[in-house]
Amino acid sequence: MSPDTLAPARPGTAAAGAEPGALGRARRRTLVLIAAAAVLLVLMTGVALSTGQVAIALPDALRALFGFGAEGDVLVVREFRAPRVLSALVAGAGLAVAGSLLQRLFRNPLASPDVIGVTGGASFGAVLLLATGASQALTPLAALGGGLLAAALLGAFAWRSRMAVTRLVLVGLAVQAGLAAAVNLMIVRFPAELAGQALQWTTGSLYGRTWPELWGAGGAIAAVVAAVFLTNRRVAVLDLGDDSAGGLGVDPHRTRLGLLLLAVVLASLAAALAGPVGFVALAVPHLVRLLAGPPTPASLALTALTGALLLTAADHLVLHVLPVHGLPVGAVTATLGAPWLLVLMIRQGRPPQRSSR
Amino acid sequence: MTKTALSTDRLAAHGLQLRYGDRTVVRELDLELPGGAVTAIVGPNACGKSTLLRGLVRLLDPAAGTVTLDGADIHRMPARALARRMGLLPQQPVTPEAVTVEALVRLGRYPHQRMLTPWSAADQAAVEEALRRTGTDALRDRPVDQLSGGQRQRAWIALALAQDTDLLLLDEPTTFLDLRHQLDVLDLVTDLHRDAGRTVVMVLHDLGQAARYADHLVVLDGGELAAAGPPGEVLTAELVERVFQVPCRIVPDPETGTPLVVPLARR
Repeated sequence: MSPDTLAPARPGTAAAGAEPGALGRARRRTLVLIAAAAVLLVLMTGVALSTGQVAIALPDALRALFGFGAEGDVLVVREFRAPRVLSALVAGAGLAVAGSLLQRLFRNPLASPDVIGVTGGASFGAVLLLATGASQALTPLAALGGGLLAAALLGAFAWRSRMAVTRLVLVGLAVQAGLAAAVNLMIVRFPAELAGQALQWTTGSLYGRTWPELWGAGGAIAAVVAAVFLTNRRVAVLDLGDDSAGGLGVDPHRTRLGLLLLAVVLASLAAALAGPVGFVALAVPHLVRLLAGPPTPASLALTALTGALLLTAADHLVLHVLPVHGLPVGAVTATLGAPWLLVLMIRQGRPPQRSSR
Repeated sequence: MTKTALSTDRLAAHGLQLRYGDRTVVRELDLELPGGAVTAIVGPNACGKSTLLRGLVRLLDPAAGTVTLDGADIHRMPARALARRMGLLPQQPVTPEAVTVEALVRLGRYPHQRMLTPWSAADQAAVEEALRRTGTDALRDRPVDQLSGGQRQRAWIALALAQDTDLLLLDEPTTFLDLRHQLDVLDLVTDLHRDAGRTVVMVLHDLGQAARYADHLVVLDGGELAAAGPPGEVLTAELVERVFQVPCRIVPDPETGTPLVVPLARR
């Protein structure tokens, strides 16, 4: 909401020295939550880096991440564990921010990368690449390309209606369904062992990530998240409806297209690292809204941190806690996500309390 | 009420044609709105008055013709620059969930801000002034979606005031309000004109209120200009019968002397 929430207290107001009133209280609570989430994220990352066949003490594992400490620790942490753990962290943050942006743009709490076809596109790209038998190192790129392809389809079909929200959602669902069907067709015709690999790209998994992939996708995700922060004022104005936004000097159609692009690129990049992981993009923005109230730049930071924390934790569950071996992380988040979605639907079924004026 | 027309803040339409898809709503309109005055746009339902207002603030691109502000084509002005000169209160703004009055009003500063500049003392001063003028100071921490209709409308007007523009355009600002709150809003809007010299253009439904509060009346009929001028000259029995198909007498408002439309008894 207020564009300055991360800035220091505003100068020269008569009311009080620090930010007074409800805005100030909400901001202080959010800042406390951010600090808590950051501490938890560091701990979770440490735990994930220190767990495995070779147990390493948590402080040693964190130090080894930056190349300090025993040579063996550094090797294990940096070569074997860090790419996967940090990929989970970065992809989780990207997914959560993408979800929060989409839910705001669509003014719909059920919006997520699934709704605009991006996750279907990412699976499609990856599975298509498997079908051609090309090098598996290219799979993340193919997933990215698939996500962008879905977005291009969405844009092409929805642009004529001037990016109206209902049209976007309907077209997005159609794109998603079409691409998911194409993926299923390919998998059915695959030989058994290829089908197993393909499955990973229909549910999401962090298996086999490498440093170059992490640097590439992670850097791009960081850049796009930064861009999302910079557009926050614009999004807040767009929240007032197209007419009010127009009166304040924001072109609603072009702005929505631009923001949609940011969300799509973000979700596609996350899918390139982790596959089409469900639940994170849908649930984290809701969780943050419950904890920190209406969206502000500070709550966006909290969203990114919470998404990172959630996916890192889920992947840790998959690797070290759950008894089933080789479960894709997407299966875990989806198992948690389905009941959450049901609760949301039931709550949405209540008579709406929002008014349009 | 002062009736001095300024030579600035003049909005004008030249051969303006506005369409939704294939449907032409406003055709070939030539119109000049006086600066420094209160203009009311009136007309029967579906006459294109809201559409005209949308065209005047560039929410609609004209199919033909131009809209000018002090002679400059508004479609050639940068969007933010235009938003620093005219503010809009739409008919159906969307209240974001759980947003407080102050947070809402702060968004009015958007056209004055640059991407990375922090909130300034001038921004806060404009917000405080807007809250004070609209009497929403005490409501600043309340969520807008929990206010009454009248309070909410004042919060939205405060947003437009924080925008700090010389021109203020309002699309049916009194709809959904009871009589007292209608009058409150109209008093507030005309005070803005009187105290701060703002130019006000509003779409209104009630002819009596339009005649009372406006210096200049624009009557639309079927997307065309039926009449324009001071209410006392424009609002005649012939015009009302022709445009609204209501036979009537025009009597002086016993309170203000402005024209008052009294429909003839039908039975």
